[in-house]
Amino acid sequence: MSTYSFLIRRVLQALAVVLLVTVVVFCLLHALPGGPARGILGPQATASQITAFNHEQGLDKPLPVQYVYYLNQLIHGDLGMSYTLNEPVSQLITERLPKTLLLTVLSAVVGLLVAVPLGVWQAVRRNKPVDYVITTLSFIAYSTPVYFLGLILVLVFSQVLPWFPAQAPQGNSVLAVLSQPQGLVLPVVAGAATMVAVFSRYMRSATLENLTEDYVRTARAGGSRPRAILTRHVFRNSLTPVVAMLGYYVPVLFGGALVVEQLFNYPGMGLLFWTAAQSSDYPVLLGCVLVISIATVTGTLLADVLQRVIDPRVKAGRS
Amino acid sequence: MSAVRRPAADTLGGHILDLDDLGVVFTTETGPVQAVRGVSLHVAPGETLALVGESGSGKSTVALAAMGLLSGNARATGRAVVDGTDIVGADEERLSGLRGSTVSMVFQEPATALDPLTRVGKQIAEVIRNHRRVSAADAAERAVELLRRVGIPEPEQRARAYPFQLSGGQRQRVVIAMAIANEPALLIADEPTTALDVTVQAEILDLLRRLAEETGTGVLLVTHNMGVVADFADRVAVMYQGAIVETGPVEDVLLRPSHDYTKRLLSAVPRLSVAEAGGTARADERADGPGADAPGAAPAGQPAVELTDVSVVFGRGKQAVHALKGVSFAVHPGETLGLVGESGSGKSTASRVALGLIAPTAGSVTLFGADLARTRARARRALRAGIGVVLQDPVASLDARMTVGECVAEPLRIHRGRLSGRERESLVAAVLDRVRLPREVARRTPRELSGGQRQRVSLARALVLEPRLLVADEPTSALDVSVQEAVLEVIRELQEELGFACLFVSHDLAVVQQFARRVVVMRAGRAEEQGLTSATLLHPETDYTRRLLAAVPVPDPVVQRGRRAERLATLAAGRTEEQG
Repeated sequence: MSTYSFLIRRVLQALAVVLLVTVVVFCLLHALPGGPARGILGPQATASQITAFNHEQGLDKPLPVQYVYYLNQLIHGDLGMSYTLNEPVSQLITERLPKTLLLTVLSAVVGLLVAVPLGVWQAVRRNKPVDYVITTLSFIAYSTPVYFLGLILVLVFSQVLPWFPAQAPQGNSVLAVLSQPQGLVLPVVAGAATMVAVFSRYMRSATLENLTEDYVRTARAGGSRPRAILTRHVFRNSLTPVVAMLGYYVPVLFGGALVVEQLFNYPGMGLLFWTAAQSSDYPVLLGCVLVISIATVTGTLLADVLQRVIDPRVKAGRS
Repeated sequence: MSAVRRPAADTLGGHILDLDDLGVVFTTETGPVQAVRGVSLHVAPGETLALVGESGSGKSTVALAAMGLLSGNARATGRAVVDGTDIVGADEERLSGLRGSTVSMVFQEPATALDPLTRVGKQIAEVIRNHRRVSAADAAERAVELLRRVGIPEPEQRARAYPFQLSGGQRQRVVIAMAIANEPALLIADEPTTALDVTVQAEILDLLRRLAEETGTGVLLVTHNMGVVADFADRVAVMYQGAIVETGPVEDVLLRPSHDYTKRLLSAVPRLSVAEAGGTARADERADGPGADAPGAAPAGQPAVELTDVSVVFGRGKQAVHALKGVSFAVHPGETLGLVGESGSGKSTASRVALGLIAPTAGSVTLFGADLARTRARARRALRAGIGVVLQDPVASLDARMTVGECVAEPLRIHRGRLSGRERESLVAAVLDRVRLPREVARRTPRELSGGQRQRVSLARALVLEPRLLVADEPTSALDVSVQEAVLEVIRELQEELGFACLFVSHDLAVVQQFARRVVVMRAGRAEEQGLTSATLLHPETDYTRRLLAAVPVPDPVVQRGRRAERLATLAAGRTEEQG
């Protein structure tokens, strides 16, 4: 398959998935107890007030109709108005998305930059003390909930040792956030920790597996030094399965951002989603889910493309 | 090689490889295992020493020890001197300097020997640049030159190919190109042709011989194939249980073996009877061999399975693969039909069609008189109960989580659901007796058994329903010759007793010649020719079968020398014809 037709096919698949996600989430959210009217008007609202609100917002129409309305607006870039913040959802998302992207991309990059060499190092020193220590730390990092890890980070590196602020930068733009880099350290570390734990494990086992492959023996028989074999052959071969995993990890990153943003009071999508969920702000919730699902689908798409670049066999359909 | 005899084998002191009391111990979970003990041998420049033995004899371990490539849990003792350097105890830096330059190696499995993500030209260039200070461009140029030298067509383009874009034979040529890149004094070849078709094997052996002759390289050839030994080696060392039992010139060892083990090993090797090369067919053909009864007579009665004009196409459009094209054959009760051909010729596909696992795109399959296309699922299931299957890999085809008894009883559970547990047990015990396995193995797991025992378990499972048809797809290819002989013997006896029809798929013409009454030669999805084994494989009608037979090395160095000369002459004649 040529790269061109591959891309077209994958993008069409991606669009279908996104559409399906909007349907599922729309249905799920409407099935939740406690409608938006109750959330917005408060517990003291009377039944007639609620009926009036539902009528005004179109919430008394059948679900399919509501969904078609929503989809139509969506195509025109209109994600509706937030019930609680009285702002267009699209505007809320455009404001917050870059900040969340900044946080997640930073976390992912830092996480990978640490995890990949760490995994290779562990594989090379397998079953030595270093390997055991890192393995233990990985399991601790992996099994600690992000919010707990974040709290510990704040306690140690902000309260006991006053090195970093406990709150993330509050600026409205990405540039403003970046102008206070010390405030990003703890959120990024909290977001990257799980990633380091998970991906160093992948990298370690992929490298270990590749070190036993026949081609390594062939390279040794040709006089290649261990370091050269590692960097020229084993590393690339071990990276392919890790890249494939990366695409599926995008939603986990966003999930992590949800907690991290809440914890460090970082005004991104996660915090937006959090507050919207608390007040049953449907348009905001749907908007966020849509954006996250697009990000996930794009992530897997990028991972697929990246894999085709790294591994020529994928392109030939032989892998 | 006979014409251009290289320096006498026993030039004193001038050895390129000298093993002196070499021992190798592996540390395993169950304690130390002595894999190699007291091995002493030498290879002179320009000489080929074949190290032969069955699996587990330690021959590959010796080869790896000579390269310093033993795995981490192995410890070598004694001396392994390559060109003046003792490999035992040398540090990695020293070894890296030797490997690929003074001594290099060709491995068994060309499918996995190359880095899948690096272009082959680059992999060859890497070996060059490991040892010579040349620019990347010069190394790349030299890699193309090497590809040309090992007989890869269009080497400039091929250098940019990834390993998966090459055939198995071409990949092995690339590995050889890497091995000779720096003109080593010693080449170690560990089963270099085992994974290849016979015709490709002959080409690779020709290539190795030519390269060794051109540069005076000494060769340590590790192999289990006595034909390859006869074709290639000057001297032979026979290994058994980690030690060398016999060493000598190839003619002495193969024709006049002195050690009991060598004699046993050689007598188990299936020999291709050949009509050509001066009618030197060996007399050790079994008198009760195939075709002995009623030679030439077409089998009467209803065939167990019959394929009529069967075609199979996988995929569609441009990428469609025509795996079978109009293949017809039948297997009758009590007879064995051999299905031979090179890899990709369609023989396994044909056997799967016979099993009803692949529906033909065109043509018909009749199993025990019933047209498979017209039977309903339930009836087809009942028909299948009449087929037993034995596959190539006894490790992969038995469930490691089941005991041997459960494995063998499974067909009974499926097709004879009404049997009580006790009845099932006694049937399993009876069939284990039949394949000559002790009844106790029923309680063990497949992994506790040897390869030959496992394959007998597969056979027991295939026979427990007393099938009318046995389909055996390369049933002995993964086994040592002595084990192969025993397994084939069991099948033969049981066939006489039970009278089942047998469809026997194999790449080994010698085995088929001994085992099958009739044979179908497959080529690129077609049945190239078929007939009685005694006729077709002795006096073939087609050039293809003739070429196939000519490529099989026979384990007699004198005969093989003649066969090789004849084959090369035919090749040369063909080439001049093409050019003229």
